[in-house]
Amino acid sequence: MVDVAVIGAGQTKYGNHSLGLKGMWAEAAEKAFSSVDQDFDPRQIDEAFIGSVAFGGAQLGNTAALLTEHSGMQGVGVRRVENACASSGFALRDAWMAIKSGQADIVVAGGIEKMNDLSPERKRFWLGVSGDTEWERLAGLTFPGTYALMARRHFHEHQSTHDDLVHISVKNHMHGFENQHAHLRKQVSFEKAAGGFMVADPLTLYDCCPTSDGASCVILAADHVVRQFTDDPVWVRSSGAGSDRLALHDRPTITQLMATQKAANSAYSAAGITASDVDLAEVHDCFTIAEMIATEDLGFADSGKGGVFAREQQGVLNQGNVCVNPSGGLKSKGHPLGATGTGQAVEVFKQLRGSVEPQRQVRDAEIGITHNVGGSGATCAVHVFGRDKR
Amino acid sequence: MSELIWKGYIVLESGDSVFIQSPFTLNGKIVYGPDSDSTTMSIAGIQYLISKGHKVNSIHLPPAVDGEVVYISTLADSPSRSEELDSNEVIWQVMDGDEATLLLSKQDNNEFDFDASTFTVEIDAELYTEIQKAWLTECSELHVSQGAYVSQAQYREGSSARLNLTSQIHEGKTIWPPRQLDENGIRLAKESKALSGSAQVESWTKLSAAGAPSEFSLRAPILGGIQTLLVRFAEGPRGVFLVCDDEDYSPNIGDSIEFGVRRIYAQEGYIRYGMKAIPIRGQK
Repeated sequence: MVDVAVIGAGQTKYGNHSLGLKGMWAEAAEKAFSSVDQDFDPRQIDEAFIGSVAFGGAQLGNTAALLTEHSGMQGVGVRRVENACASSGFALRDAWMAIKSGQADIVVAGGIEKMNDLSPERKRFWLGVSGDTEWERLAGLTFPGTYALMARRHFHEHQSTHDDLVHISVKNHMHGFENQHAHLRKQVSFEKAAGGFMVADPLTLYDCCPTSDGASCVILAADHVVRQFTDDPVWVRSSGAGSDRLALHDRPTITQLMATQKAANSAYSAAGITASDVDLAEVHDCFTIAEMIATEDLGFADSGKGGVFAREQQGVLNQGNVCVNPSGGLKSKGHPLGATGTGQAVEVFKQLRGSVEPQRQVRDAEIGITHNVGGSGATCAVHVFGRDKR
Repeated sequence: MSELIWKGYIVLESGDSVFIQSPFTLNGKIVYGPDSDSTTMSIAGIQYLISKGHKVNSIHLPPAVDGEVVYISTLADSPSRSEELDSNEVIWQVMDGDEATLLLSKQDNNEFDFDASTFTVEIDAELYTEIQKAWLTECSELHVSQGAYVSQAQYREGSSARLNLTSQIHEGKTIWPPRQLDENGIRLAKESKALSGSAQVESWTKLSAAGAPSEFSLRAPILGGIQTLLVRFAEGPRGVFLVCDDEDYSPNIGDSIEFGVRRIYAQEGYIRYGMKAIPIRGQK
């Protein structure tokens, strides 16, 4: 079977962009192309998969065709991949599968979202389009509300507390402070994060990621062509995916994400690793409770002990066995929905090649994972990356 | 004559007649609460009659009452909904007044004697005015979605489960809200049995006005946010529900809950009704 490597990766800064869709995508693609060690010609690309929710309805149809025509990929087989916030995590998986299947040698996986050029009212219409619209939305829930229900139940079942979530917020702001691509580059004190404006009780502003604009792009290549482009590839050792019932109330538990567990087990098994082998994890922390639950579902903490993991600051850079969200995560780096999954892959690519800002480099990083969740856990993609092929 | 609270309304019963009214007053006049109208109160009244052993297969409704919603919620048909219904054979009637009051009685009953209720509370005048203004805007045909949208067909498809908590029974298990095919690809039977309506809170949240879905964006700031409960029914299934008419309720996990039909939101001139949670008072 063909092995797959990342040979180049780039992204825009996340945040409030003056650029539109075409400009943002061109910037991410340009950075990815120029990150390839040897000359790279976009006409070599066989296929492209671009994740986007098409937030606001801008270029809802044929998104990928529009973007790729502005980045030197005219004529390539392209499509938009939509799985809510996990859109580009699944674009990455699709790109990986295209090479694994032997149908393509060089494939682009990317993502994009423009969220901040809508009026607040229009933005509210679009936030929460990925929950169970019929049942959850009619009960007044958008994702802050859905994750708030999960948080309160986790507190009840596992004696975790809001202070545990505050530790996650403080950590991710600390990590993101040094990340030049992060949306919110500011450190926050425990006291400030603990006393934030209540968005969805018990979640405050400091428990919620920002709405960001941004684009990200990753170039994958089959093992037999990798050396044409780089002597320093990062290997995609495996890809795992899972899904679950869309509505929270239809799931057997609301303090675990079965989609994450399935995706992680599948990815770890295929890569021949366990959670204890992971040096860094880009985790989908759209809300701090999402990271707390993810540390359990990904196997870094025992079931129900995500609060303890956060309290003991085990995910802090170069402090525990695994660094969780060295980029600052969605909380600080930002969350341009469709761009988030491949944006996580950009971070892991750079971490494993030792090319992030020195202050936030994970020491001796050999294995990194990305964990990209759609909505409140209806879809999830987990990828394992390594310095070595296996 | 007895007086009691039923589904969040005040019910006064005398013989075969029931007087039902909103618990809210404004300057001495009885007015509807933030998510009630004559449709929701008619439903509560009919459900009360049924709970007392009356057979209410059909009923005359005032023009302002949505006969379709009443039928789905109570299975009581009305001449306004069904042309085939012989008007002369309809025994029951709902009569509305100038205030937020309804009288449910048999058509041949012309003698009514009800005292004024002692359970009423004065509603904040500004809140009442602002909520009424918000509903007026929401009910406009020009008030349209700019994103997330529950189509009328989708709303109707789940309406029996939504308005009457009707569940499916599949291989001995109670399923709610309704599902289509099971894990073997076999189509589940249609909804057939209403849940008891007895449930307990498993989790809850209060969303700030800024965090509420756009469907509630006109009313959430007036109400100071909206409160949602995740509950588990006695039969097993779980669901999420808004809390009705109750700004002061501080939920706790384990609280017992009952349900009443209320307005959810309106869009494109069409009011969407559904169940909302009513806390059972007197619990710790």
